[in-house]
Amino acid sequence: MDKYERYKVDDFLADDYFLHWILHPTEEEQRFWEKYLEEHPEKRKDIEEARFICSIFQVKQKKLSLNETYEIWDGVLQSSKQLKTLRWIPLLKYAAVFLLLFLSGAFAYYLYENRGQTEHFELATGTVPVDDEAKIILSDGSEISLEKKESKINYNSSGNQLIVNNDTIRQNQLAGTEAINKVIIPYGKKSVIRLSDGTIVWLNAGSQLVYPTAFLREKREVVLIGEAYFDVTENKSKPFIVRTSTLAVTVLGTKFDVSAYPEDKFVEAILESGSVSLEVTGKNFLHLNKKVLLKPNQKGSLNREDGVMKLTEVDVSQYTAWKDGMLKVEREDLIRVLKKVERYYNIQIELRDPLAGGYLISGKLDLKNSPEEVLNVIQLTVPIDWARKSNGDFIIVKK
Amino acid sequence: MHSGKNDSELWIAFLKGDQQVLSLIYLLHVNALFDYGCRISGDHDLIKDCIQDTFFTIIKNRKTLSPTDNVRLYLFKAFKRKLIRELQKKPRFLQMDTETAGRFELNFLKSFDHAELEVTEEQKERLSGALNTLTLRQKEAIYLRFIRGMNYHDISVIMDLNYQSARALIHRAVGKLRDTLHGESEFFSRALLFIFRCCRT
Repeated sequence: MDKYERYKVDDFLADDYFLHWILHPTEEEQRFWEKYLEEHPEKRKDIEEARFICSIFQVKQKKLSLNETYEIWDGVLQSSKQLKTLRWIPLLKYAAVFLLLFLSGAFAYYLYENRGQTEHFELATGTVPVDDEAKIILSDGSEISLEKKESKINYNSSGNQLIVNNDTIRQNQLAGTEAINKVIIPYGKKSVIRLSDGTIVWLNAGSQLVYPTAFLREKREVVLIGEAYFDVTENKSKPFIVRTSTLAVTVLGTKFDVSAYPEDKFVEAILESGSVSLEVTGKNFLHLNKKVLLKPNQKGSLNREDGVMKLTEVDVSQYTAWKDGMLKVEREDLIRVLKKVERYYNIQIELRDPLAGGYLISGKLDLKNSPEEVLNVIQLTVPIDWARKSNGDFIIVKK
Repeated sequence: MHSGKNDSELWIAFLKGDQQVLSLIYLLHVNALFDYGCRISGDHDLIKDCIQDTFFTIIKNRKTLSPTDNVRLYLFKAFKRKLIRELQKKPRFLQMDTETAGRFELNFLKSFDHAELEVTEEQKERLSGALNTLTLRQKEAIYLRFIRGMNYHDISVIMDLNYQSARALIHRAVGKLRDTLHGESEFFSRALLFIFRCCRT
C-alpha cells in the first residue's frame, strides 16, 4: 500500500488524495490518514508541515449574498427568455445583445459619472465594509469610532464643534471653506446625526453619509450610500439635496426616506410630508435627466438596470419604522424581509429552499428583540424552520 | 429530485434538455467563481455580470455543447476568459491601478498557527514577506491548488500552461515558502541538493 514511502512535504502537497483530505475530508479519507499516521510515525513531521502550508491560505472566501445569488440567476433567465422570443428575427437578436452589453457596461459607469458632480463623491464610493466599525471621519482624515449600537452625533450651527455621544470635539476649519465629514455605519448599527442647519438624519445599518460640517454654498448637498430618513430644516433659499449613485433628491423642507443600497436593484425615495423632486442623474442616454415630483405618501422607485422610475402610493410608516427599531412589512417577499433582517443585525441568513423566498409576509417585527426571536415571529406566519450553523450563520428551510 | 447526482450527471441532464438542472449546477459553483473573480478584479458588478454571461452563454449554446466530466473546469475557463476580456475592454481611466498591471489577490491567514509545529513570530513575519514576493502566476496557481483543490491538469488548462509547467510553478512557490519557514541555511542545502540532482540526471 505504501506509495507514500518516499514522500516528502512537496510530494504530499502534490498528491491529490492528500490535498482532498486536507480541504474536504471524507470519513474514508480521515480513517485512511489516521491509520497511516499511526503506522508511519516517521512521516508525521512532513505531513504536518504540508498541512501547515495548506492552512496558511484558508482565509474566509468571498461569498455572494442570497439576494445577489438569485439576482444573477434571474438575469440569466431573463436574457435567455429574450433569446427564445427573438429567435425568429435574427436582426433583432443582435440589437438585444447590443443592449445587454450596454446595460452591463452601464453598471460600472454610474458611480464614476457622478463623481464629477460633487467632490463629496470622491469620499463616498464602494460599499460599506460589513465588519467595519462605526466611525466618523473628520476633514483632516482623523477617525473617531462610534462605539454604541445607536450613536448620536450633534453639530453646532457653525459646524466647528460636534458632540459624539457625550464627547465634545472641536474641528478646525478655514474660514469660508467647507470641511467634509463622513459617517460610516456598518450592518448591525444605527446613528442619528443632527447637521449644522438643524436637519436630522437617521442613518440605517450598512450606510454612509458624507456632508459638509457647515453649509456655505448655495445648496445644501449630502451624499448617501445605503438608507437614511431625513427631517430637513426648512430653508427656501438653500435647497437640500441628497445625492445617491443614480438619484438626486431635492427638497426645501420635508420628511422623507431614501434607500440606496449598492446591492439593491432599486433606489427608493419615500415622502412623508412636504414635497421633493427626484432627478435621475446617470448621464447615458437610457437615463436622460428626468425629474419627477413626489407627493406625500408616495414612493419613487428607480430600477437601476432599466432606468425606469415608478411612483406608487404607500403606507409611509412601513418604510420609516426602522428608525424606531421596528420593521413593518406589507405583502413583502420573505427573501427581501430576510435581507433587511440580515442588515439590521449584521448576520448571515441562508435560505436553503429558493422557493420559500417567495412567501409573502405582512406584519410588524420588533427589531429590539434578538434575531432568534424575530425569526420565531416570522415562523408563525410562514411554514419555515430555522437553525444556527456552527459558524453562527442562520439557515432557513421550508417545513 | 437531482440532489444525489454529481455535476457531470446534472450536465448531461441539462444537455438533454432539462433547463432546470442548470440552476443546480449554478448554485454548486457560483460562490467559487465569485471568489475567484474577486481575486482578479475589485469590480464586483463586473464579476457578477460575467458570471451571468457565462451561464447565459451555456443556455444559448446548449445544442452545441458536449458532455464533460469536469463541469467546474469548463465554468472556470469560460468565466475567466470573459472576465479578462471585459477587463481589457474597460477604458484605461476606469481601471484601477492594480488592474492595468494585472492582479491576483492571494490573502493568507494573519494568525497562522499550527498545533504541532512551533512557528515563531519571526518565522511568521518572514513567511508573510515571502508570500508577498510570489509572482501573479504563482499566486493564481497556489490559489487554484490549495484553495480550490484543483489537480495539475485543471490548473494547466485554466492558466494556459502545459502540465509540467503548472507543476513546476507551484513547486517553486511552495519551495520559496518552505525555505523561508526553515531559514536561509536550509535554502542553500536544498539548492545544493537540487544541483546535485540535476547533475545526476
